[in-house]
Amino acid sequence: MKADAQVLKGHLDTLLLASLEGGPRHGYAVKEALRAGSGARFDLPTGTIYPALRRLEAAGLVTGTWAEAGGRRRRTYALTPAGRRRLAGDRAAWRDFASAVTAILEPAL
Amino acid sequence: MTTPLIVGYVAGLHRKLPAGLADEAADGLTETYQQHLAAGAGEQEAARAALAEFGDLATVVGEFTRQAPARRAARLLLATGPVAGGCWAAALILSRAWTWPVPATARLSFGAVLLLAVLALLAAATSRHSYRRTRLAMLASQVILVLDATAVAAAALAAPSLTPALSAAVAVSLGRIAFTARMLPRLAAR
Repeated sequence: MKADAQVLKGHLDTLLLASLEGGPRHGYAVKEALRAGSGARFDLPTGTIYPALRRLEAAGLVTGTWAEAGGRRRRTYALTPAGRRRLAGDRAAWRDFASAVTAILEPAL
Repeated sequence: MTTPLIVGYVAGLHRKLPAGLADEAADGLTETYQQHLAAGAGEQEAARAALAEFGDLATVVGEFTRQAPARRAARLLLATGPVAGGCWAAALILSRAWTWPVPATARLSFGAVLLLAVLALLAAATSRHSYRRTRLAMLASQVILVLDATAVAAAALAAPSLTPALSAAVAVSLGRIAFTARMLPRLAAR
């Protein structure tokens, strides 16, 4: 998990954006989406999701809004159009990179 | 529906972070706690599990600090500092600035204020656990903005002629002024 954590840091922004692609989510749901989507490999401390979301918000890629639900104020996060564009770009770049690495590591026999 | 453990942690968040950030993290902690309650844990057990899952206070505050916009701004200004300083040094030497009609006290105070501002930026840029320390960058970047403007004004008023090197230094300073002026309102908003 420690080794994963270092590698994960470099991709966290993209993964957070991807977890919001299906629609707005609460921070906890974002974290759960990362955990469930990775087969429990990416299990970040929930508290560290918020600084990252805050940074994406400052960069204009995500918007956070407070809403009253069940007698409690809750914050949900959604992708902005710029966030969607960034995600599309990151996804294309990752596909290129991953296919190049795969081509080297697993040459066709 | 909360426990002393959660209340204590939230109080810690409010001590160490601006209200908006503390509220955001506290919302996440409450949500984590309620997930454990909903899964059938008792209050104490749910609180302990939520805190373990959320991460300890130092880690969460440290992460907010590391990603603070003011800390990043301080790093950017520090990174461009040598370029601006180098341009000005070259321009001033080439224009023989020591012959300009600028009083020695003005030169000395400019240097002293610049040194203090750079030290404040360094403190903000290297902060790892104190969010408050990153806020030094707000004051320091305003001071740097005024210093850039002062240098441009001094060059315009006191330089006998606008050499190419001086024009380059003025352009670098104007660029930094524009960058800082655009960034400051965004920093103030959080």
